[in-house]
Amino acid sequence: METYEYTHRGRGAQTFIYLGKLFRMFLFQNDWKVLPMSAIIAALVAFAVGANLFDTMEGTLMGTFALSCVCVWNGFFNSIQMICRERAIVKREHRAGLHITSYVAAHMIYQAILCILQVCITLFVCQFMKIKMPEKCLFTPWPAVDLGITLFLVTYCADMLALLVSAFSKTTTAAMTIMPFLLIVELLFSGSFFTLPDEAMPFTNLTATKWGLTAMCSQGDYNSLPMVSVWNNALKMKDVEVEGDKPLLTAFQYIEQNDMRDDFLMASAAQNQNPEFNYDAKIVLKCWAWLIIWTAVYVIAAIILLEFIDKDKR
Amino acid sequence: MAGNIDYTDINRIGPQVLSYLLISLSYLGIFHKCGVNKLFAFIPAVREYNIALCADKEKEGRTYTVLTCLYYVDVIAGFIFQGDIRVTMFLAIPLLGLYVALFIYGIKIYQGLIQIFERKRKWIWAFIFFKTLTLFIWGLSRKFQPSKKVVSLKGVSGAKELGEDIKASDNALTVNISKRTAIDFFKKKVLLKDIHMSIPKGHLVLLLGGSGAGKTTYLNAVTGYEKADARIMLGQQDVYEDYEKMKYDIGFVPQADLMRGTDTVEMTLLDAALMRLPVEMSVMERENRMAYVLDLFGLTAVKNSLVDKLSGGQRKRLSIALEFITDPELFILDEPDSGLDGVVARKLFEKLREIADEGKIVIVITHTPDRVIDLFDDVIVLAKDARRTGRLAYYGPVDKAYEFFGKESMEDILLSINQKDEGGEGRADEFVEKYADLMKEKVG
Repeated sequence: METYEYTHRGRGAQTFIYLGKLFRMFLFQNDWKVLPMSAIIAALVAFAVGANLFDTMEGTLMGTFALSCVCVWNGFFNSIQMICRERAIVKREHRAGLHITSYVAAHMIYQAILCILQVCITLFVCQFMKIKMPEKCLFTPWPAVDLGITLFLVTYCADMLALLVSAFSKTTTAAMTIMPFLLIVELLFSGSFFTLPDEAMPFTNLTATKWGLTAMCSQGDYNSLPMVSVWNNALKMKDVEVEGDKPLLTAFQYIEQNDMRDDFLMASAAQNQNPEFNYDAKIVLKCWAWLIIWTAVYVIAAIILLEFIDKDKR
Repeated sequence: MAGNIDYTDINRIGPQVLSYLLISLSYLGIFHKCGVNKLFAFIPAVREYNIALCADKEKEGRTYTVLTCLYYVDVIAGFIFQGDIRVTMFLAIPLLGLYVALFIYGIKIYQGLIQIFERKRKWIWAFIFFKTLTLFIWGLSRKFQPSKKVVSLKGVSGAKELGEDIKASDNALTVNISKRTAIDFFKKKVLLKDIHMSIPKGHLVLLLGGSGAGKTTYLNAVTGYEKADARIMLGQQDVYEDYEKMKYDIGFVPQADLMRGTDTVEMTLLDAALMRLPVEMSVMERENRMAYVLDLFGLTAVKNSLVDKLSGGQRKRLSIALEFITDPELFILDEPDSGLDGVVARKLFEKLREIADEGKIVIVITHTPDRVIDLFDDVIVLAKDARRTGRLAYYGPVDKAYEFFGKESMEDILLSINQKDEGGEGRADEFVEKYADLMKEKVG
């Protein structure tokens, strides 16, 4: 009886073969377009909401929410069509010996590189547009690197979620139909930016935006920042008369004359501190851990789904 | 107990129950006319699937049934949580979506019913606005009769079987498929049955069969891609037992050219070589093999071109080259000539003849066999028997096939085995039994 002595390339070698394919597609299939796109999105966000980022409580909440959205958007667009556009090809290659784990691993490495590049571009654009960065750092000597890690994890988590959708969808149209739903869930359930009913709060744990926003607020020492919204709103009412007097105007004049404006802003902030945003390495690490866990869940689910690719009908 | 009855509930549910019963009664009439089990008319979800069968809309019927089940689940959940206004509101959103989807699928099915009952299209408005009444009329009035009944396989016996396994030979692909079954929408279907043959090495074999005869199922079973209740031997190697190693010895070229258009020809082939060739093969050997395959399929001149830039014929040849790179013993091609003109197709089949002459087994599905039939050694004819199961109607030399079927071309053979409702002669069972008798004589 004839015996087989040959061995074929295993998962590791196959991963690098597919990685090569992906980088060639990056050049020839115009996948590189996601890089300039991320610069444009970052510039738009920096222009619109960057003025008070890491400067005031409100600006930080809005800015970190916007940055989380940028990351989710980048991540989604990186990989939403990656698998579904070549599903039939993957099925053929699986039949010929492709390991699904290698295929997904190649995507993971490729997407990780893409996400790192996008985060670098985003940070560069923010620096270029003079957006204030966190002043303190929790893990590395550079605050921008700490922030970059958070941005990367949010982008990568969203990227892997989109990869899962791509693995689940039979066509690009189906994937692009599902994407807006996921995007709206990511935005609505970010936890802090929109006020949600108590029953809905557990769902916020599902979103990358919640963990990204929380980590960034913590890194930016949200609770040490002044709150300006109370001051600004009260200022609009300074001419309101009560029994012929203008008590608010009098109070403002007193505060200004005694140079107590900052004290007022800090006192206002003290009433609105959020313990979840404390400047604490544990909080940031917890957020990063959640993002990594979700990334792993998405990757495992994508692999399991793709293992059934042979069941696809012709 | 009577004092506990909430009459507001009865007032609310009463009309719904009445409507359900009326529709069931109407379906009963329609099912009777269409040859479907009448009891199904009263079973929720089952009746929806069967009305779709009456309308010859089986595919839509599946979705309609699933949607109906979800609808009932949602309604029951709403009933259970009726005290909680937030849950009720939450359940109402998918209910609305399901209602719309059911409405759309209902229209599709009633349109099918109108066609089967050969009535004017205007009837769809009656189904939309007066569904219960319309169904009632269609179910009970004798004026409404279907032009086509639902085919029931209950009590239908298939053609008799050979039931004998063929002994494996060193120089052949020995196929002994007892049965290949699949579960499809809660129903067990026998896709292939009683297929036995031994294909010698060096043969170019045509696989012929009508739509749904099980050609792809047969190929998948033979290659071990979808395992059947079978024993497939390539030489003395069991394909199923050694599938992980044997799959590199079997090349399967799909109908569509499934390759990445934005990669070059050379890199596409190199990746295929890296994936499929043994690690032990030296770089020099691999490059020589690649150069040979590129040359064999006339792709050397375009090796640096992007796959997207190739012509239809070149792309098809590259698709074949990707599988041929491993020099497989068994080479299977699903319609390699689709989309190719006669001259290009002929050249492609001549290449396949050359490959077979090297001692390989090449099995090809094609829908235009007569233009290249002189290149084939054998033909496998698969046909659907009375139970809609794929059966072997013939395997043997091409010239003997004409004699066996009493026809002069492969297309005529195909027509003779196709079902009558497909425009054929419906003689599949006759030939399956004739071939089984012939084989019994041979095997003894």
